[in-house]
Amino acid sequence: MGPSDEDLCARIAERDSQAFDLIVERHQARAYRLACSILGNEADARDVSQDAFLRLYEAAHTFDRRARFSTWFYRILVNLCIDHQRRNRWWRKVVPLAGPDDDPDAIQIDPPSSEPAPLEKVLLQQSVEQLNRALGGLSAHQRTAVLLQAQQGFTSKEIAAVLNCSENTARVHLHRAITHLRKVLKDE
Amino acid sequence: MWSAHHPETALLPYLNGELSVEESARLRAHLKDCARCQEELAAAETVIQQVARRVEQIPEPDWTAYNYQLRRKLNARRSEPVRRWRPGLVWASAAATAAVAASAIVLALTLAPRPRPAMVAVDQLEVEGELADANIGLLRAYPVVENMDLLENYDVIKNLDQLAPPSRPHVVSRS
Repeated sequence: MGPSDEDLCARIAERDSQAFDLIVERHQARAYRLACSILGNEADARDVSQDAFLRLYEAAHTFDRRARFSTWFYRILVNLCIDHQRRNRWWRKVVPLAGPDDDPDAIQIDPPSSEPAPLEKVLLQQSVEQLNRALGGLSAHQRTAVLLQAQQGFTSKEIAAVLNCSENTARVHLHRAITHLRKVLKDE
Repeated sequence: MWSAHHPETALLPYLNGELSVEESARLRAHLKDCARCQEELAAAETVIQQVARRVEQIPEPDWTAYNYQLRRKLNARRSEPVRRWRPGLVWASAAATAAVAASAIVLALTLAPRPRPAMVAVDQLEVEGELADANIGLLRAYPVVENMDLLENYDVIKNLDQLAPPSRPHVVSRS
């Protein structure tokens, strides 16, 4: 068992690159998946989760250990996701998404395969799309609340801290999200 | 709190063990007699599990590429000039802005055309009249002064013959 996230964060505040790499390694998959579930877009999830790690690097000295590191970090990530959604809501309608070809320095990520996808992968993709559709019907706060609960196992209090609302409001977000998801997933 | 209503928002916290001992006991008692809440509780648990399972199924990106991009962004941020919040600088800027604004207001008030009251024109006429009637010796002798000036010029003209030869054209003798 390695150092705690809180200790790593203190070392990042002192510009310890190894500590930063370690915390990225620990949280990148969950951060990416959470961003992907909120944003419903892999490219955006990649950018926004990377931005969250950059913010973590820059703001590590402000983490005062009053909350758990994960609550603090996922608050940064969720705020970036919600902000990204808000900014791009109308912009996306006007300007199409930039492709990897637009950036000469960009490296190819997940290049499309010419081979037919295996059945398992197709089913997986359908499952993810079904979830995205179901989550798409929720408000940003409801979606975040249910994802933090399901993925991170956050308590209502921690969800409230991430969403900057009261614990009761967080519980209401959760209840409404579950009621909606229950209905949509049952129908499909 | 829950006696009159179904404790819908407390079901998930109950599952997660977030409720106090008293709250949990009350919820358990309610669940015994409420089929609707029993169903809600089971459904909530199922939905959360479904969401968790599906989130785990989201395909992961190429982490090598991801980390390479992240490192590149971090290096780019590091090379940017540091922009620190300096309260002293902010106060100085605010004071300078206030000073400029105050100067602009004073200038505007000073230079703005003011409506002149009718009395000013009358006074001016009176002043001009008084000047015209004034016994100002210099003004009365103005033609004399003018002639004296001419005489002076005449004096110069009269001595033109005595000017220096062309090799020294600038020198004018006044004697």
